[in-house]
Amino acid sequence: MDGKNGACYTIDEGKICVYLYRAFFQREAVSAAAQKMTGCYYIEMKSLDSERVAIYLEPKSKALGTSEIESLEAEAKVFCNEVLDQQVRLDLEKRYGKIRELIVRQAFSPVTVDELSRELKS
Amino acid sequence: MSLDESSYILLPFQFEKVDTGDFLLTNDAGDFIYVGPDEFDRLVSSDIDRNSEMYVNLKTRHFLLDSPKYLANTIDLLATKYRSKKGYLKDFTCLHMVVLTLRCNHNCNYCQASSQDAKASNWDMDKKTARKVVDMIFQCPSPSIKIEFQGGEPLLNFPVIVEIVEYANRVNRRFKKNVSFVLCTNLSLINKKILAFLKKHHVEVSTSLDGPKELHDSNRILRDGGSSYDLFVRNLELTRSVLGDDSACALMTITRTNIDHLRKVIDEYVRLGFRNVFLRSLNPYGYAQKKTGERLQYSIDDYIAAYKDALQYIIDLNIKGQHFSESFSTILLTRILTPFSTGFVDLQSPTGAGILGAIYNHDGSVYPCDEGRMMAAMGDTHFCLGNVHKNTYQDIFLNPKLKKIVTASCVETIPSCHSCVYQPYCGADPIRSYSQQKDRSYVGHMPTSEFCKKHKAILSHLFSLIRNSDNEVMDVFWSWITKRPYKEIGLSCNQ
Repeated sequence: MDGKNGACYTIDEGKICVYLYRAFFQREAVSAAAQKMTGCYYIEMKSLDSERVAIYLEPKSKALGTSEIESLEAEAKVFCNEVLDQQVRLDLEKRYGKIRELIVRQAFSPVTVDELSRELKS
Repeated sequence: MSLDESSYILLPFQFEKVDTGDFLLTNDAGDFIYVGPDEFDRLVSSDIDRNSEMYVNLKTRHFLLDSPKYLANTIDLLATKYRSKKGYLKDFTCLHMVVLTLRCNHNCNYCQASSQDAKASNWDMDKKTARKVVDMIFQCPSPSIKIEFQGGEPLLNFPVIVEIVEYANRVNRRFKKNVSFVLCTNLSLINKKILAFLKKHHVEVSTSLDGPKELHDSNRILRDGGSSYDLFVRNLELTRSVLGDDSACALMTITRTNIDHLRKVIDEYVRLGFRNVFLRSLNPYGYAQKKTGERLQYSIDDYIAAYKDALQYIIDLNIKGQHFSESFSTILLTRILTPFSTGFVDLQSPTGAGILGAIYNHDGSVYPCDEGRMMAAMGDTHFCLGNVHKNTYQDIFLNPKLKKIVTASCVETIPSCHSCVYQPYCGADPIRSYSQQKDRSYVGHMPTSEFCKKHKAILSHLFSLIRNSDNEVMDVFWSWITKRPYKEIGLSCNQ
């Protein structure tokens, strides 16, 4: 298994197995991506070792026809992209999450701009 | 938080890659912007050229900030905008729907209400209960109160309408709130005496029309099986002759029967002089779900396709000179294109159920929304908050169940919704999550939610129209938002 890209997948017995490296993706990103697939798949998440996690996606509907493997490969790629997308969101949230919190707090319990400035500096 | 003086500061936003490959960015204040894939990469890498047009656009729409020294003021500004978007929270609770009777002289195919025969007994609200309801309504802190008479057919219990209107006006001498009344009626029982009362007390009229005669009658038949259309048209004319041309607005319900004929429905609305239509999908609650089955239901994909086609048809009508709007799009466009809050109970975050609206059944029991009442009629009283005869205002509106519903219905925290690009314009329906997805936490499961699929598709379509349309279409949208004829809109706003 090549983990240089952070993610790779196999298709086995009608199931997708995606291997993800922890160095690239956080648990929250993986969970958020997996949650988005729960409409069509049964999801199983396993910790393989200190470096990797495995995500198994089993289609709820087995009626995929002759192109089953191709369909699953496409879905595996969609999932890998989704994990990456969720990781970007997580990284961005780290940068501005505090600002979002302050906006909402300020909206409903306004304090003066000077007080806000002091809090930002601290 | 560490703030680097040399690079710009990213402000919070949601994003999604759209069909063109570009990214749509929105923020909690409802601002939005499209950026190309390269620009998006540069944006998140803090590598946007400060001298570029894109940088200026992102800055003016609050997606980034030049320097940390402006952060406190910017947070204050965004907080003001955010508070404006959530302005409906100040109107706790402004819409009070009162079910005066479960009796009805119609037997509509899709009726979600547990309607009873027009001659049945014990299904009417009595005057004592009506006064208790009014007393409870006036305890709500909202400075504006709208009392909406519903049924069954509320005119079957007209004396209690009179009682509520007159009693509410007396009570209001003390509270001095802005009180208004709406009568939701099929118009079949309207007469000059009733209209004189409605006129005297400025009671607005809301009715239902499902299309031209054939389509209307296939959905909305009288209890004896006869046509309701001719009576409707006759009494609509009578209503307008007394209350004025714009006195009655109408709602339609899309069923399998009329979903492929929405253009005909719209033509009928225009022909009868209505200025808008609400293209409402079937309600999956109560008796509606049990009664309709496959005969009237359709897939959410069919609804979305029909909605898009009908919307385009309405836009084209406006461009040709016919001022006519689609109400749901108008609500969403107002959220997208203006800084204002819109008071639509069914799509708020947190939910409008109990906060914006509450419903009082004929027996005095109180529910956060009509859907909760429907479920009670089917035997599930889960959403009953109390009864005006037994409980205080505090018991009902500070009910832990209502708090739980409200807490669970913030799209800002719901899985999948929290990072959705359409989140600033959308809302939650915790009652539907409970009813359709059997989620007793009310949060819902968005990957399988038809509610989510429908609203995402419509919002995505509106954004696509905003981005790709010419000035004519934007003028139509602004005419709907500002309630002015298309010809009067000279803004030619092109996003």
